[in-house]
Amino acid sequence: MSDPLLHIEGLRVEVEGREILKGLDLTLDKGEIHAIMGPNGSGKSTLAYVLTGRPGYEVTAGKIAYNGENILDLAPDERAQKGIFLAFQYPTEVPGVSVVNFMRTAYNATHPDDQKSAMQFRMYLQEKIDLLEIPTELVDRYVNQGFSGGEKKRNEILQMAVLQPQLAVMDETDSGLDIDALKHVSAGVNKLANDEVGILLITHYQRLLNYIRPDKVHVLMAGRIVRTGGFDLAERLEAEGYAGIAAELGLTDEEIAELRSAEAKV
Amino acid sequence: MTDRLTRDALEGLASSLSEPGWMTERRHGAFDLFEKLDMPDPKGDEWRYVDVRDFDFGQFDVPAVGGKGVELPAEVADRGVIFTDLATAATQHAELFKEHYFTEVPTDEHRFTALHGAFVSEGFFLYVPRGVEVELPLEAFHTVAPGGSVFPHATIVVDENASLTVVDSFRSEDSDRPALCASVVEVEARRGSTVNYISLQRWGRNVHHFQTQRFTGHRDSTVRSLAVNLGSTFARTQVESVLTGEGSFSEMLGLYFADADQHFAQRTLQNHAAPHAVSDLLYKGALKERSTSEYSGLIKVAKQAQGTDAYQANRNLVLSEESKARSIPQLEIEANEVRCTHGATVSPVEEEHLFYLMSRGIDRVTAQKLVVFGFFGEVLDRIRVPAVRDELADAISSKVEGSQVLEMSA
Ligand SMILES: Nc1ncnc2c1ncn2[C@@H]1O[C@H](COP(=O)(O)OP(=O)(O)O)[C@@H](O)[C@H]1O
Ligand SMILES: [Mg+2]
Repeated sequence: MSDPLLHIEGLRVEVEGREILKGLDLTLDKGEIHAIMGPNGSGKSTLAYVLTGRPGYEVTAGKIAYNGENILDLAPDERAQKGIFLAFQYPTEVPGVSVVNFMRTAYNATHPDDQKSAMQFRMYLQEKIDLLEIPTELVDRYVNQGFSGGEKKRNEILQMAVLQPQLAVMDETDSGLDIDALKHVSAGVNKLANDEVGILLITHYQRLLNYIRPDKVHVLMAGRIVRTGGFDLAERLEAEGYAGIAAELGLTDEEIAELRSAEAKV
Repeated sequence: MTDRLTRDALEGLASSLSEPGWMTERRHGAFDLFEKLDMPDPKGDEWRYVDVRDFDFGQFDVPAVGGKGVELPAEVADRGVIFTDLATAATQHAELFKEHYFTEVPTDEHRFTALHGAFVSEGFFLYVPRGVEVELPLEAFHTVAPGGSVFPHATIVVDENASLTVVDSFRSEDSDRPALCASVVEVEARRGSTVNYISLQRWGRNVHHFQTQRFTGHRDSTVRSLAVNLGSTFARTQVESVLTGEGSFSEMLGLYFADADQHFAQRTLQNHAAPHAVSDLLYKGALKERSTSEYSGLIKVAKQAQGTDAYQANRNLVLSEESKARSIPQLEIEANEVRCTHGATVSPVEEEHLFYLMSRGIDRVTAQKLVVFGFFGEVLDRIRVPAVRDELADAISSKVEGSQVLEMSA
């Protein structure tokens, strides 16, 4: 009946003249969690960025519909205002801007009908901090400056909790975390998952999926979604690696070589 | 028709004032110098890249005399603080005033100080007696008429273990007729005293602003200066801290934000003449549109100034392709036990920072504002007068938005 939350069809994306996504299809509904797995360099972050409208990521073909609406012409802030959120793989440090000030500005920009004063926002923020069990002092520091890897990821989850997006894209939120941090961050995501939000969980490894159970698992390789399945697909990847699937898919030698060299770089 | 800045005009001005003869003589001496001196050399260290050789003094009217005057708050009046205009100081506090007037900054430094010495038109003498702490900031305001000139002078003496904060504001309406301000600020901080001096240059467009500020810090004194440049079309500010007393400390802050065709030039000197003194300089500026800025800063450490700590940093944030910032640090160190660091940066706003902020729903202009505030935060956080901090925050905000910018045709 209603439009899916996110519908991507035949998406082709170029970065600096090089085609990275080569006809990607994907549909995600509200309340669903989909995992996107793929080797390094397969275009996972490219997909995340193109959803948020990052400059330099040129869509040459295909479409992205969000709640049935084409969003390709919208600027990053306009997309965020409509409820799209990206938890960055490498969150940016912004010198001199405090987390709390940044988040309040973002909250008020994305919630035109619920403007919060500094005091009101503090209280609201504290609820989220308590929910996610994040050290309060984090929010009085400058955005990501001097944060550890784990703190940066937690700060992304906190922003998601504060902004309450409809579509959350989480780009390797598990990478660089030790097992305790991973559990902590996963618990946070699970608390935020509900019937109103769709989550795209981008990851390189299966281990995150032990803590956050996806409804579907997609494999991204050579710029396309090449397999879609359940949790068992993630387990299979863990056991066989990506190269196993590549051969079976009949990828060209060139594509396999590209895959190998990207894998070797890690 | 009104008079230009001539000898005749000077005589007219002097005779209209009820000032003692020695002051008038000094005016004439200064005018002699003005006629004799060459324009500052844009290839020399002090005025590097600041080319005023074609500057036309003939385009400005003589100054109006007196200015807005200053007012001593009742709370401090009975504690022996003197805060008066110059003519009153010269008659009521003759000895004290004469001893300090034009001692820190002589008129012969360059043509602009010479012209200032000749036409001094308003300003104040401020004396804080030994041990008196003046908590409220004392304020002075200056303005200039379109096509006119103003020559504000401040002589400040803070006696032993006394403390003082001064906010000196320069404001006028935008105009298409050029105006001139040549100002001198001389400050003596005696043993153990604390002085905060803030100059807020917020002239309207088409004012040409030249200012020399010199602070002399005696033993264990603390001198904090903040030089703000936001207004005018052209501004050159020279700020010098002379650390003559052992254990003295000087904080030198600068904040500037140029847009349209504004051009700001800043020269600083950290002059260490005594052992174990500390100077800490931070000048931060943002540039928009076609504006330009120069910063040149010298750290000078005399042979006897062992144990000196001197820091200097100039950071520029460039918000457009066409704007330009130049930064030239210089060191002259004769002592061998010193710690000196200096650093200069000129960097654009990072698109990556803007994208991160925008990805959270923040529009581009607001994102820029956050980044610019983040940049200036380091200076703003160190400003001890909340009203000044708030005023600057507003001014920075409207500069980023650009709504206040009135572009004048050349
Ligand atoms: N900004 C960029 N400039 C140049 N190349 C890029 C850029 N972003 C991504 N790429 C290239 O695109 C390919 C896909 O990268 P990415 O989407 O980051 O992959 P993943 O996130 O799956 O590791 C890689 O070959 C990478 O080098
Ligand atoms: Mg990636």
